[in-house]
Amino acid sequence: MILRFDKVSYRYPGMAAWAIHDLDLAIHPDESVLVAGASGSGKSTLCRASIGLVPHFHRGELTGRVLLGGLDTRQHPVYQLFRYASLVFQNPDAQLFNHTVEAELAYGLESLGLSPSDIEERLTWVEKLLGLESLIRRLPHTLSGGEKQRVALAAVLALRPRILLLDEPFTHLDPEGAEQLRSTLRLIRSEGIAFIIVEHRLHEIITDVDRLIVLHQGEMKIDGSPRQVLSGDISTYGLNLPPLVRIFRALGWEKTPFSVQEALREMDANHLSPQIVLNFQEQNSIVAGPAPSAYRPVVEAEDLWFHYKDRPVLCGVDLKLGQGECVALIGRNGAGKTTLAKHFNGLLRPNRGSLKVFGLDTRKTSASKLARHVGFAWQNPNDQLFRTTVREEVLTGPRVLQAYDPAWCNRLFERLGLGPLLDRSPFSLSEGQKKRVSFAAALASQPGLIIFDEPTAGQDDPFRRELAQLIHELQREGRTVVLVTHDLEFAARHASRWLLLAEGHMIADGPPDALMANPTAMAKAGLRPTQRFQLIQTLKEKTKE
Amino acid sequence: MIGSSLDPRSKLIVLLAATCVLMTFHRWFELAIALGILLIVTLLLHLGLAWLGLLKGLGFAAFTFFIVAGLAFDLATAVLAALRLLSIGTAFFLFFQTTSPEALSNALIKTGAPYRALRYFPALAGPLLIQAFQLADELAEAMEARGFGAPGRRFRYEPNLRLLDWAIMIGSIAAALTVIFI
Repeated sequence: MILRFDKVSYRYPGMAAWAIHDLDLAIHPDESVLVAGASGSGKSTLCRASIGLVPHFHRGELTGRVLLGGLDTRQHPVYQLFRYASLVFQNPDAQLFNHTVEAELAYGLESLGLSPSDIEERLTWVEKLLGLESLIRRLPHTLSGGEKQRVALAAVLALRPRILLLDEPFTHLDPEGAEQLRSTLRLIRSEGIAFIIVEHRLHEIITDVDRLIVLHQGEMKIDGSPRQVLSGDISTYGLNLPPLVRIFRALGWEKTPFSVQEALREMDANHLSPQIVLNFQEQNSIVAGPAPSAYRPVVEAEDLWFHYKDRPVLCGVDLKLGQGECVALIGRNGAGKTTLAKHFNGLLRPNRGSLKVFGLDTRKTSASKLARHVGFAWQNPNDQLFRTTVREEVLTGPRVLQAYDPAWCNRLFERLGLGPLLDRSPFSLSEGQKKRVSFAAALASQPGLIIFDEPTAGQDDPFRRELAQLIHELQREGRTVVLVTHDLEFAARHASRWLLLAEGHMIADGPPDALMANPTAMAKAGLRPTQRFQLIQTLKEKTKE
Repeated sequence: MIGSSLDPRSKLIVLLAATCVLMTFHRWFELAIALGILLIVTLLLHLGLAWLGLLKGLGFAAFTFFIVAGLAFDLATAVLAALRLLSIGTAFFLFFQTTSPEALSNALIKTGAPYRALRYFPALAGPLLIQAFQLADELAEAMEARGFGAPGRRFRYEPNLRLLDWAIMIGSIAAALTVIFI
């Protein structure tokens, strides 16, 4: 046994509630464990407690006992524990602290007190294992999010820990990055290192783990093989279930398919009718965009070009968005999605070509005038918050823009559950609450166009449902919604139209089903069709036969 | 409250003048009287508790100043340095307690100071600081998790004194001795 929790409870300093409560857990060498649970269920705290950061770094009150490699974490400082267990933190921007990638990788090895020749040996091993040879002389802050994460992973892997912990590693990755991480994790397992991975997006990793643990309000509710756990009653834990399991559950079927092939096999074996799935899909398909007769353009871009210094980011983009549409901007990290979205509210202006938003030429209209019409909710709400109370945070925009409508703002507070938080500092809120504040701030001036940048990243299932409902309400009010996202399952269900970007080019534009049926465009954008889509397509073909 | 009813610009001038005066005082009782007056104003404005909060940091700084000046110069200089720091600190404290950053920047803008820089600054300074602290905290945690502070730490490129280094060291000492004694 490499890691053991004996009746562990912990609370952060000054907090009345336990972050984890009465936790018993034993992890064996070679095990791979997925820890799931809604926001605030204690997942990150579990990671910190495993390597002694709780209680040594965070202080607070710990009862019970955590044994790591046989050492009681309370009796040993983190610098003795870190050789047994390593943690890759959630935020890729806040865990690299050296001036080069090479120094980053060497840091932990130097802490271990290894000789220079041993350090070289480990570096060579880890560089090769994770394919970092080309990054080795780079400066950490110039790396992309996915690269930073790979370096952070390498930096702890070089220590050859017996157990590796990863806190929501898939959050900021695009589909190709996610695939790369999965294959890295398989490699790590083949090296005999156990891992615990905390993740909201269960389907990203569920086939690669042999154990699933569900936390709820700090307590361990279920522990077992993924199939065992997912076939039990888990509806109250806010889990973002794998998409095919979700369909089966909605239909009252007990099986837990993780892949399309498995779903088809189960349906065949249990004589489950394909037609039921197709009817279900039909009933649950999203409202289509506005009828062509009612189409009123909100955004019109013609041959839009933009470059940062010498690097072209957008190359001749043409597009039109209509009133009341929900559109998803999709593509790899760095494909130009956020850059394009920033053009809609005038934060960036085209170098060439034209862009009209609500009939206003963005090159001739000030950003503050556009802000009256365009709301922007940033991916990281911390980038957006700047006032001392939630109320101020939300109302500053409409007041400055002279678009303050008390009735609308009160409705917004109520709609987003911010009523009890109005006098608190936005910085003191949980990440999910911050996200709600940023939505309220983006909507406060009653914009006709609203952009959500990665709204589902790091969010649990209840949040996703609320967001879906909010989007539909906004559409019904005649507002246009743009989602910038990697979350294809969400985008396929709630956007009536996808815009695929690849290296600054708009390579496809159409309903999600049509684009997912276009393998060339999908491959060019680094995407694969969702499992739900694949299942439906196969079943459709089957029923035709 | 009189403190916040004054125009931020007049308060700013008072603050600058007070700082100049405090810098010119070179006798301990002058500074002590000035500090006394500032403290009375603090109490009148009901800022006593807040001032005690400030004292945690400022008092420590003044004490450090006192020790350093005492060791480097003499007791009198040390007392002066500590008193001066306390009184100037208290003057700035009074100013910022009674003036919100927004009010200050708005007043300065009215006087013709550059709008953008000043309007952005108070709005951004707070969140930037908070974000900087958060980032620092997360980085500290990441360092800890990679064995920061472990005894017996070694380095990839360990400094290594080779024959050449020894030769240069001995040579330069010898040269210095030669110059001094011959």
